[in-house]
Amino acid sequence: MAEKLEPAKVLYCGVCSLPAEYCEFGPDFGRCKPWLLENAPDLYPDLLKEANEKAVDNVSDKLQSVGISSGGADGAPSSAQAGGTSKKEEVKRLPGGKLKKKDRQEVIIEKVVRNKRKCITIVKGLELFGIKLSDASKKLGKKFATGASVVKGPTEKEQIDVQGDIIYDIVEFITDTWPDVPERSIFFIEDGKKVQAA
Amino acid sequence: MLSCSLFVNFRFCLEEISSQNQVKASVQRRIRQSIQDEYPGLETVLEDLLPKKSPLIVVKCPNHLTLVVVNNVPLFFCIRDGPYMPTLRLLHQYPNIMKRFQVDRGAIKFVLSGANIMCPGLTSPGGVLDEEVDAERPVAIYAEGKQHALAIGFTKMSAKDIKSINKGIGVDNMHYLNDGLWKVCSLLYSFEMQSGLIGSQ
Ligand SMILES: [Zn+2]
Repeated sequence: MAEKLEPAKVLYCGVCSLPAEYCEFGPDFGRCKPWLLENAPDLYPDLLKEANEKAVDNVSDKLQSVGISSGGADGAPSSAQAGGTSKKEEVKRLPGGKLKKKDRQEVIIEKVVRNKRKCITIVKGLELFGIKLSDASKKLGKKFATGASVVKGPTEKEQIDVQGDIIYDIVEFITDTWPDVPERSIFFIEDGKKVQAA
Repeated sequence: MLSCSLFVNFRFCLEEISSQNQVKASVQRRIRQSIQDEYPGLETVLEDLLPKKSPLIVVKCPNHLTLVVVNNVPLFFCIRDGPYMPTLRLLHQYPNIMKRFQVDRGAIKFVLSGANIMCPGLTSPGGVLDEEVDAERPVAIYAEGKQHALAIGFTKMSAKDIKSINKGIGVDNMHYLNDGLWKVCSLLYSFEMQSGLIGSQ
């Protein structure tokens, strides 16, 4: 006998009932957004960005935190992007001293383990301190003698993937290299929770 | 959002209708057979979908629409005496049972407002035609960049003609996301799922 057909699973929006990918064409995309953000953030990467920006508007601009998320991923692309050739890391600020982005200023470090042994350390948020990611990636790769590359994360935001577990040394490296990044703004993601590195 | 009581009312309503529309065994067999012939891909699950033992309910609705309902959920529909076609909810579960066309992204909003499908929406770079499809055949309508079907259509011309003529309506839009039938199905599916009558499909 032929094998029984398995019904496909489809994610339907809890608000408008359409397959979640069609919410943008639905009767009221705005109302779907909170649900989508919770249940299908990958489908609408822009939503996350939007939400982040909104969240930051509510938080005082002064709140500076750097989060570092280190996660072990397997074969992360290690084509370290050779960025500019600047010698000194200077955090650039826009006129008025404000940072360009309104995202909360924090560096998040996460370790992702892929093939049992292999892991990557993901660093997000350095750009919020005006650091050029390609440069940072190059420096990280050199410092830790490993592959580091700038990649697009799930929300299209760029992050740096560094091969190997460098989570214990990275905070010091960041604060030494870029003094504008305060230690209190650096966070680790551990077991899904955000933990301050300081 | 519709209130819960409306769910319940609607379901009772359908149960009421259903009780009056159980069809004779011979008719049931004929419907099963024609669905089986039309969608051979469903063979292995047909007994689950349309169990021989449980009654097949045929509901006549306005606009010459006929629904085939099992366990309070519409699974197939037909218009006038056309072929039976799966509801979109069912097609989403078994996407390979129908031939596919794809419209370009620009056509999505028109299809979802009920418009028939124009040839250029199928022949543009974002569109895809299965050249084997003849005229007057049921076909699943997909969309550029989307995974799931957004409509069920009935071809007015063959895929080859759609390509060569490339003007006017190529496919009649029979059923699309968020039309009346979709809304009914969504209500019933969610209700049946809450009460555990259907698996978490
Ligand atoms: Zn929605």
